Amino acid sequence: MKPANQIIGQVLRVGIGVLTAIMVGGVTIGFAQESVSVRATLMTGGVPVDDPNAAAWSSAPPATFPMSPQVHWQNRIQEVTVKDVIVRALHDGKQVAVLVEYADPTQDPDDAAALEFMVGDKKAHFAHGQPMLQVEGGPVNIWFWKNKTAKAVDMNAKGFGTLKAQEHQDVKAKGIYSNGTWKVVFSRDLSTGHAEEDVQITPGQFISIAFAVWDGRKDGAGDLVEKGSQKAVSSWWYFRADAPPDYSGYMYAAIAAALALGFQFVLIRKLKKGQSA
Amino acid sequence: MGALGKPIILMVGMYAFLKFVLPNIPGSAPLPSSLIFLYLLLTASGIVIFETLSGESKDAFWGPIQRFLTGENIGGLQSLRYGVFILFPLLVGWQTYGSTAVSDLPPTESRTIHPAPPGEYTGLSNPVPKTPENIMQGKGFYAAYCSPCHGGNFDGKGPAARGYIPAPANFADPTTIAMLQESYLFWRIKKGGVGLPIEGAPWKSAMPRWEVELPDEWIWKIIMGEYDGAHQSPRTWE
Repeated sequence: MKPANQIIGQVLRVGIGVLTAIMVGGVTIGFAQESVSVRATLMTGGVPVDDPNAAAWSSAPPATFPMSPQVHWQNRIQEVTVKDVIVRALHDGKQVAVLVEYADPTQDPDDAAALEFMVGDKKAHFAHGQPMLQVEGGPVNIWFWKNKTAKAVDMNAKGFGTLKAQEHQDVKAKGIYSNGTWKVVFSRDLSTGHAEEDVQITPGQFISIAFAVWDGRKDGAGDLVEKGSQKAVSSWWYFRADAPPDYSGYMYAAIAAALALGFQFVLIRKLKKGQSA
Repeated sequence: MGALGKPIILMVGMYAFLKFVLPNIPGSAPLPSSLIFLYLLLTASGIVIFETLSGESKDAFWGPIQRFLTGENIGGLQSLRYGVFILFPLLVGWQTYGSTAVSDLPPTESRTIHPAPPGEYTGLSNPVPKTPENIMQGKGFYAAYCSPCHGGNFDGKGPAARGYIPAPANFADPTTIAMLQESYLFWRIKKGGVGLPIEGAPWKSAMPRWEVELPDEWIWKIIMGEYDGAHQSPRTWE
């Protein structure tokens, strides 16, 4: 028969294993749904607002979002060219840049893309902030780029037919087409003086973002196939600009470990005294 | 085994039961780790209370723990003892870090799939006679207006569905229209995504508000066509 000590030792080892398994299990569950958000990586020295091919973009993790033909309201469309958008984002604490990349077989003057954000604390319907019947909604802020104008328009909407360009145009955009792929960079200051109209981006906080794309191709009769509400759209997703690194977690961990160590010392001293008494 | 062996075996057994056996019992689901932790904590408290009921059992229970901690006469276990002393503060530190570190995860949003309809949409019965012609017509309207998202096979996999979250309902699934009344469908089709109450997250739903485009009679026919096409029946009051 094994000595009791050895058995206790084995059992303790198993117990520690189980405890570790619980902790590890609890930690891994947390990483399951990473792709549901766009993460704007914090970088130093100006963000590449004019350059969709800048090397800095490789430090931003790409996130892919599926697109659907817009069917929520008239005029609908049943099929669209763009099936997915790949989105990256960077910020430097002052400016934010969002790179939207998608496959489009042809470059057309009417090719266009847009970002949409909720503004303020109220939820807004993803379809241009369409009024909801039981919930008081807020406006949406739309950053719109079109190939032929080669610039961005900063807009607001609160329901169909209310889309309007703002008096304060704060957004810039630059698109580059090559090898069947559009890369469009939208950029703006993280915060603006117009919190009622513009989305305010606070590092560390999640906000809602949606995407829209129009393929500017024409049909046999020379009419645009995708225009206005006939476009590719996404649902709401999350966007977050990285907060500056925060090391306080390490400090708290060190304090807790030191306390645990101290507790061990006190406990063993007590036990030893008790035994010898 | 001693008084210490059994409790530890009990703990390990309890963990194995909660983690591997319970989720496999029909009608059950995997337990969240926080709940497993709580159950283990309760088990441990029960064991401590039980083992310290009498002086003898208390000595038998604490004795080996005390010997292990003080390191007296434990022979080969000495290195394990030091291991525990190093590992314990590290685990505490790790847990503290994990609970204070800012989460990288977006906020979780719970969404009620079938929230309660407004009062005026409960208990309505379909005014359209259930004739083969009406069902056929309903299926025609379904094909024109609903199938791009809800699918020609009533499975929620229409060509326009892929980018929408929440995904369009799968009517062939027994947990959708089969557990709802026609009255409920009438409300959902008429008012669409924007008609949902706050717990239904109306800002995310792409479902059109069909009342602005389709007469009520068509909507009732669509409902008939949906049930027939998906081989389901509306829920009735038993």
